[in-house]
Amino acid sequence: MMEQVTRGDIVLEARGLSREFAGRNESGLFRKKRRVRAVDDVSITLRAGEVLAIVGESGSGKSVLARMLARIVVPTEGELLLRGEVIALRERRTAAYAGEVQLVLQDPFASANPVRRVRHSLERPLLIHGTPKEDVVVRAREVLASVALTPQDEYLDRYPHELSGGQLQRVNIARGLSVNPKVLLADEPISMLDVSVRLGVLNLLRELCDTRLLAMMYITHDIASARYIADESAVMYAGQVVERARGTRVMDAPIHPYTQLLVDSVPNPEKLSKQSSPTAHNVDSTHFNYEGCRFSPRCPQVMDICRGNQPPEVDLGDGHMARCWLSASDAQRTAVKILAK
Amino acid sequence: MNEDSLVPVLDVTNFSVDYGYGDDAVRAVSDVSFSLGRSQVLGVAGESGSGKSTLVYGLTRLLRAPGVITSGEVTLHLAGERNGEAFNVLTASEDELRQVRWSQVSIVMQSALNALNPLRRVGKEFDEVLRRHDRTSSKTARQERAIELLALVGLAADRLQRFPHELSGGQRQRVMIAMALALRPELVIMDEPTTALDVVTQREIVSELYELRQKLGFAMIFITHDLSLLVELADEIMVMYAGEIVERAPAVELHGAPRHPYTLGLMNSFPPLQGDRVRMTGIPGSPPNLKSPPGGCAFHPRCPSAHDRCRTQAPPLVAIEDGHRSVACWLHDSSSTEVVPVSLSRRAASRIGQGA
Repeated sequence: MMEQVTRGDIVLEARGLSREFAGRNESGLFRKKRRVRAVDDVSITLRAGEVLAIVGESGSGKSVLARMLARIVVPTEGELLLRGEVIALRERRTAAYAGEVQLVLQDPFASANPVRRVRHSLERPLLIHGTPKEDVVVRAREVLASVALTPQDEYLDRYPHELSGGQLQRVNIARGLSVNPKVLLADEPISMLDVSVRLGVLNLLRELCDTRLLAMMYITHDIASARYIADESAVMYAGQVVERARGTRVMDAPIHPYTQLLVDSVPNPEKLSKQSSPTAHNVDSTHFNYEGCRFSPRCPQVMDICRGNQPPEVDLGDGHMARCWLSASDAQRTAVKILAK
Repeated sequence: MNEDSLVPVLDVTNFSVDYGYGDDAVRAVSDVSFSLGRSQVLGVAGESGSGKSTLVYGLTRLLRAPGVITSGEVTLHLAGERNGEAFNVLTASEDELRQVRWSQVSIVMQSALNALNPLRRVGKEFDEVLRRHDRTSSKTARQERAIELLALVGLAADRLQRFPHELSGGQRQRVMIAMALALRPELVIMDEPTTALDVVTQREIVSELYELRQKLGFAMIFITHDLSLLVELADEIMVMYAGEIVERAPAVELHGAPRHPYTLGLMNSFPPLQGDRVRMTGIPGSPPNLKSPPGGCAFHPRCPSAHDRCRTQAPPLVAIEDGHRSVACWLHDSSSTEVVPVSLSRRAASRIGQGA
């Protein structure tokens, strides 16, 4: 089933994906269950040979999004399309889907079986996905070579604890690649690694994406690394995509106040600014405004309209989108006023 | 630099720490010497396993077995009631240490959640610290002080009634910082206090620390793997690799013109937020296994400028350029005939636009 894939083809598409979790109960006898929307109406497309970076702080819903794309978490709403075909989300995930969409997790030591050799970790997914036994050994060596762990014999018979974090993360990536997926979801793949080996793994991901025409989603809290690797970046806040653009526009010309805050907060020795640091309203960051704009309690430019009304997705041209009332058109603002009456 | 910075707070000479004994011993900190002036901020940068945390746990005698201090001298110059007294940390008894800890030196750890008792309200923790060090104080006086401390780090008084799990990560870390400042110490040690937080919170806390330092005048040792953060916060930066100091320089100079290939590599490991997107390489290979460190300079297997001498002889940390910065690298040895790469030489005014 080798189909011709060209760079830029849409491989995986999510439309209006949402996920609710049952939150903590309010206190009292007749308490109400609070619903927490971890991911709220997120639409993204993953294209062959391109990296989409999802940038967000902890709790922004970026990992839940990845798990929904991998079909480990079932979405509450929305649909998922793999190469244009709608996936039946209510049904069990098929092995074929797992073979096409692979997930690489943050902590290499937690995601490798500590009592099994590297060989086992690489060969098992191949056997599960129906590779003939005689090919398995060859294939395992191939993928190790593709993540630059050579000579392979040095790694195949090692246990996870005998490898460094960077090497083990390469093994995990190799394991994800062994079944020849079309989509690779990398959830904070470098944040647990030593600083000096992070770039190596980032470069590897970029190369794999280019040579194998993988559609890749790179999830990170580090906006600078997203700028380095991504073809398109989306910033998430409280479960929503608040800004998205191709290239480096999100970092170079941020429109949304949250993105601006994020970019200004990154330590930047080229612009020494310790006295004039950006200010956000200092509130409990876990307290979101579910009525209006999620960021409005912290936003330095908050307006009246923001508190009670969800901001619309505003198209700023060339695929640059911001979910903010500041950039909304007059028509969009008027619509809110009419509805209010 | 002001005059205060010439008054020393901490002197460390030839300090070494091993993990384990005899043949199994692993040298985690090797022959480290430095001194820190009053109200100065010393940044310690390095990767995991470089010995930066072991160094400060050793200095404060908080090291757990099998960590052993094998050599060195640590002198703390006390202030306050015991002004001017030189306190020998390594020979002091547990009792003597207890009097100095927190009131003269305090420490903030990386994980605030693990440092706070989950079953106690924040107020109780403050109360205990204040009571232990001044048994004559009244309960209301202690509470007032706790509220004052929380205000210092921008937290409302009602946080005293909260349990740690009711606070966000940033708030918890602020509580830890407020507690560290409770007894007005001369020296505050911060072990990766912002690593577990997101960048926006990190930025807020770092600017608060900067202001607090201006206001209260304590000296600070700030440990992190993020060199760019240190450039903003620290007066001076020490870069550690495999348990040794490989470079020490004033922050701005270190960033503008690093002299050690490892420092340069570390800087080039962080993609920048501006400029053209160019392929960067970081540092090849992985950090050394301290059980069997490479001979000679510990960095030589990963160093692009390594030559024969590096493989056999370990370079000492020597002062260069009129003695205001030092580096442990044979490239800068006066007898060296090797060509120093431009990126590491005196001529390099700025690293912007250079590859690794």
